[in-house]
Amino acid sequence: MKHYVMTLLAALMLWTLPAVAQNGPLRLELTEGVIEPMPFAVPEFVADDAAGAEMGRRIAQVVAADLTGTGLFREIPQDAFISRVTSFSSPVQFADWKAINAQALVTGAVTLDSTGKLVVRFRLYDVFAGQELGDGLQLVGTQDGWRRIAHKVADQVYSRITGEAPYFDSRVVFVSETGPKDQRAKRLAIMDYDGANVSYLTGSSSIVLAPRFSPSGDRILYTSYESGFPRIYVMNVGSAQRRALEQQEGSMSFAPRFAPDGRTVVYSMTRGGNTDLYSMDINSGAGTRLTTAPSIETAPSFSPDGRRIVFESDRSGNQQLYVMPANGGEAQRISFGQGRYGTPVWSPRGDLIAFTKQSKGRFHIGVMRVDGSEERLLTASFLEEGPTWSPNGRVIMFTRETQGAQGSASLYSVDITGRNLREVPTDTGASDPSWSPLQD
Amino acid sequence: MNYLSKTILLCAGMALAACSNPDRFADGSGGAGGMNNGVGAGMAGSAQDPASPVYFQQTVGDRVLFAVDQSTLSAEAQATLDGQAQWLMTNSDYSAVIEGHADEQGTREYNLALGARRANSVHEYLVSRGVADNRLKVVSYGKERPIELCADEACYSKNRRAVTVISAVPSS
Amino acid sequence: MNTGQIISGAGHLALMGWALFGGAFQSEPLPFQVTEVTAISAEEFAALSNAPNNPEAVANVDTPEPPAEGEGVPELSATEDATPEMSQPEASETPPADTVPEPQEPPAPLPEAEVSDAPPVLTPPEEDVAALVPEVSPRPQPRPAPRVAPEPVAQPDPDVEIDEVDQQETTPDAEAAETVKEDTRETAREEATTEIVTEAEENDLASAAPTRSPRPRTRPETPATEAEPTQDAPAPSEPETDENAVNNALAEALGQGQAQTGGTDQGAPSGPPLTAGEKDALRVAVQNCWNVGSLSSEALRTTVVVSVTMSEDSRPVTSSIEMLSASGGSGSAAKQAYEAARRAIIRCGASGFNLPKDKYDHWRDIEMTFNPERMRIK
Repeated sequence: MKHYVMTLLAALMLWTLPAVAQNGPLRLELTEGVIEPMPFAVPEFVADDAAGAEMGRRIAQVVAADLTGTGLFREIPQDAFISRVTSFSSPVQFADWKAINAQALVTGAVTLDSTGKLVVRFRLYDVFAGQELGDGLQLVGTQDGWRRIAHKVADQVYSRITGEAPYFDSRVVFVSETGPKDQRAKRLAIMDYDGANVSYLTGSSSIVLAPRFSPSGDRILYTSYESGFPRIYVMNVGSAQRRALEQQEGSMSFAPRFAPDGRTVVYSMTRGGNTDLYSMDINSGAGTRLTTAPSIETAPSFSPDGRRIVFESDRSGNQQLYVMPANGGEAQRISFGQGRYGTPVWSPRGDLIAFTKQSKGRFHIGVMRVDGSEERLLTASFLEEGPTWSPNGRVIMFTRETQGAQGSASLYSVDITGRNLREVPTDTGASDPSWSPLQD
Repeated sequence: MNYLSKTILLCAGMALAACSNPDRFADGSGGAGGMNNGVGAGMAGSAQDPASPVYFQQTVGDRVLFAVDQSTLSAEAQATLDGQAQWLMTNSDYSAVIEGHADEQGTREYNLALGARRANSVHEYLVSRGVADNRLKVVSYGKERPIELCADEACYSKNRRAVTVISAVPSS
Repeated sequence: MNTGQIISGAGHLALMGWALFGGAFQSEPLPFQVTEVTAISAEEFAALSNAPNNPEAVANVDTPEPPAEGEGVPELSATEDATPEMSQPEASETPPADTVPEPQEPPAPLPEAEVSDAPPVLTPPEEDVAALVPEVSPRPQPRPAPRVAPEPVAQPDPDVEIDEVDQQETTPDAEAAETVKEDTRETAREEATTEIVTEAEENDLASAAPTRSPRPRTRPETPATEAEPTQDAPAPSEPETDENAVNNALAEALGQGQAQTGGTDQGAPSGPPLTAGEKDALRVAVQNCWNVGSLSSEALRTTVVVSVTMSEDSRPVTSSIEMLSASGGSGSAAKQAYEAARRAIIRCGASGFNLPKDKYDHWRDIEMTFNPERMRIK
């Protein structure tokens, strides 16, 4: 009887699962992949006329530069292409793109609508799967804003392939530096994240330091010597209108940072030689003292949930990192390596803290978990400091300064894996970058 | 606030504005550099006149130096400051701004706080020697205004300084 | 008609129009998602003192003219919101620090004490301590290379084509005439290092500190693992087990000729199971195309199980590839992890895997588990 049932069962299995061999599927576990830039192709976006074609070429270039700049992708040069994309709507010849090992393909079209607005459409393909990744998308904007449209296209591509949140359509406020070290002129400036579209927000008659974006990117806090003494100002990015924040007579204030609520500002104030952290309502000017130690407390940074503040203090004898509740109170030391730790900045993802470390006469940018564990140094040079996070928490930008009388400052970025260290192009010297949130 | 202190403030502001003007070394004053040049250039008097700010700067000594990360005053620094206090007591119409500085081996905001500590040390010392508190102001430039540019201790040691800048001509 | 009627009529007309056109517009399937980007120009910006010209202003949907294209038109989507999907990654686990030894247990938190001038008495081991290590690193120093792979690959000759596998020139595969490549140019794998080398580590040579603890190299599974690790899977793969009965029954049900025809009616050969070496070769071949470098940190924590059916010429059937399961990350992270796995299978299988033809039955259906755990700490 049992035998009969088994036979029946087996016959049934064979009938229902003809594709499965009697041994079942071969099973493999893969644990060792490779890490390499993914080759992609972005043919010039197609257009109806010559003017459009020029725009299509430039947009494709910016998209490619954004992707290449991450270090996660590698552009396949146009002259290697086998197929030309002449129409946005005709089917993609996947074989031609496979042949040059383009794993991702971005196609696009540029037109102007009746009101003169730029209309950009694009599609992203997984070449080897022969499939579109996500839907085609259309973006409309002013012709002057073509770079932003290109960044938005690249953001989509980046996000769809990697799964990371995007960051290309963002800006950076920084201090533009000219002149020798002992008489350096400093101006507040703002640019696209990739160094394009630089605008100056202040003149060069007063030293300005360490600007920081508000959580929505509409305002900037910074320190200026306009009054002869370091004092905190808030500037509206759109209008460049600025005003000084409340300041106690005879004090110096600096190192301002917005809380995630966009209303509260934490900063350092020095009175009688002692520097402590304070917080202030930016509208009313009402302030609270957060630390009361005789040591230096500065460089605060909020956790993304606004509940904690990481800062640096030399209360132990030299600069180390501490975390305390946002309204003050007991602080926990989180840095324990040899050397000095400063300028902590909480990642927008909340999981890491970037910092500057000085050790054995060199400076490093590093990251650690918020409890101080798993410290990793990403860079090393004569002098570097002031990390700022990309909106998606994947990239860190910072200041690097070369030594000696001819030394100058410039901006660098590095992936949080420590790969892809590269200089951000700026016309002048540049320092103290602060990365904006992703633009709307 | 009386008229005098307003004037002093105004002049202090002007002096500082001059200092942060990148062209302030255009007169080619060479290696001496620093915040004090703007003052000396704008002031009457000579090194021979003991009542002149130039005398203060060059003969009395307008600056004291600090060890790495420190804001304590060495014996040598105290001697210099004794002279400064004496000069300020004698020339009581002048006021001064004490500038604190740091070398470049540190992060920007920390060095700002460190410079403030150094300026404050000088301030407290001068007050302890009898200079009126309201004649003195302190400011920190952190590592923003080095006077020596090499990347060696020889330069760094000169940059870790507090400079007493006579900031106003007597208001008569 | 009095005024009231006119007003009422006009109002109703307007209402109907709104309902009609508004509604019609809504239900019209839009082939594109649309976003309007408003950007500020440099000139506009220069005129900063002008009216508050907020560059962040984002207007909405512009009426899209549906592009009239034939195939390849994306899924119709009425969503007008083209905001990039921001899958906020959960707090991601960072790779453990290679440069720094285990951080010491943080000592009791410093009291917020007014004055705690005394430095905490701790002697944390740090990379500096390692400066006592011999001047010259005994291990070959990984050189930074754009590619990180399980095995280091030296920089190839400049005139050698980069390929996924090392290939000798002129090696016509004698046996398989149909798989002979038309083109047997010499190729070599791209230069690769085994670890990410950061600048901080590169420079450590100067300080003679080891860049990282010498993590044991991972080895291929030992041949002992030939037995499938499928305790949890009810697949009838082990003849020694209870399924034996099923197999016997199968044989019986199909008659004696079954063994020769491979158990199905497709006439495929079914030799002995794949040897450990053959399986390993396949695993390595796919791994070589499994590029996790472009994955988010969250996708790097996601293990996906992917099934694929192979054609008899040992190429994967692209349409058969599917994700069976995923663990460790969100749905969107799993999607990217799966897509990377799919690319690995298709790319490295494009010219056929090196699989024994006589064992087709054993590799026609393959389940691959892509577990990137070890790749996170590279």
